[in-house]
Amino acid sequence: MIESENILRILKETKEAIQQNDFSKLKDLSNQTIHSASISQDQDNISVAVTIYSIGKIFDRKDYKSMNGWDNFYKMLLDSLDKSIFYLEKKDLDKFRLNFSFLGKAINKISGKLKGYIEDVFEKAKISKASRIHEHGISLGKTASLLGISLYELADYTGSTGIAEVDLSRTVDEKTRIKLVEDIFK
Amino acid sequence: MTSQKSIIFDASSLISLSMNGLYDELRNLKKNFDGHFLITREVKSEVIDNPLQIKKFKLEALNISALLDEKILELPECLGIFEKEISKKSGELLDNANSTFKEGDRTIHILDLGETSCIALSKILTEKGIKNIVAVDERTTRMLCEKPDNLKKLLERKLHTRINYDKIKTKQFQGIKIVRSSELIYFANKKDLTKLKGKQALEAFLYALKSKGCSISFEEIDEMIRLN
Repeated sequence: MIESENILRILKETKEAIQQNDFSKLKDLSNQTIHSASISQDQDNISVAVTIYSIGKIFDRKDYKSMNGWDNFYKMLLDSLDKSIFYLEKKDLDKFRLNFSFLGKAINKISGKLKGYIEDVFEKAKISKASRIHEHGISLGKTASLLGISLYELADYTGSTGIAEVDLSRTVDEKTRIKLVEDIFK
Repeated sequence: MTSQKSIIFDASSLISLSMNGLYDELRNLKKNFDGHFLITREVKSEVIDNPLQIKKFKLEALNISALLDEKILELPECLGIFEKEISKKSGELLDNANSTFKEGDRTIHILDLGETSCIALSKILTEKGIKNIVAVDERTTRMLCEKPDNLKKLLERKLHTRINYDKIKTKQFQGIKIVRSSELIYFANKKDLTKLKGKQALEAFLYALKSKGCSISFEEIDEMIRLN
């Protein structure tokens, strides 16, 4: 794992944010991991970014909290977060990874509609975080491969963002580019 | 060999066209092109083989697969260029692209094999004297080939850190002629090869392509409409 100190800090702040009901902070924490994930492309960094963003989205939905299985989900979430922090402090990365996969296990134990909703949040979080990594200058193909998502999904999502509007993206004027097409069709 | 010219499609350009259902436009363009529309095996995996396993994108995969069956799209073997040659060059280019930009000692991996395979094929075709352009809708590959300095600035701006880059390595990517699905559809519209005709249709095509991932700005769309 690259930048384990940074991940440790992020996880501790995530726990605090959950306990203080400061869910907007989760988005900020997730964004912080995206910068380092774009450079390191380390799977732990990426996994933390996706998970924290998902937790933020899940806690934003007040209606989820009244659904069957919520209490259990909340308990497992905090428990796994504690254990992940504990093993990261001990520098035991294998056990950290095992415990950080807490949400996968927690989701599987939830029954009913909540399970489907949370799975959906996680899938969408992957695409959203992928789009952020692409926005940082990593190609569409590389990003899709890092996040394990389809290029179709990523292209569709990025089309609704402002990525193409960035001034630096403009590399050749339109007249020149159109001429390339006209020339090859001659 | 029918002709000494080709258009190479990367996954992003085919995805923009496919998700907008512009298959007939692609067929009509091919009918009016005395050459080959090529995809590499890596791109085939990205737009056909892998999405065939995903129900949500199976239709797009099947439609592009049909284009391959009809020989609208072809593999480079049709020009006597085989996988081994492309893989070798792709590997070299991938190593170069992914070691060009650095944050301190850390290299930033910016491209994937699908994208570099298109550049590799373009270079091989050029070496063989076959005129070619590459249709790429995604931004990073285009910036690396056309303005690597802008890519450096973008990485610095987004990552909030100083980025160093090896200008010598970027020379391998210079001279690649890149267009997007937007310019191909612009041309198709101009030559009456689209089902929907006229300026209004052009505007609709360009916005639709943008919404499905073609990296074109609103300003560039306006410029294209003015040029029409």
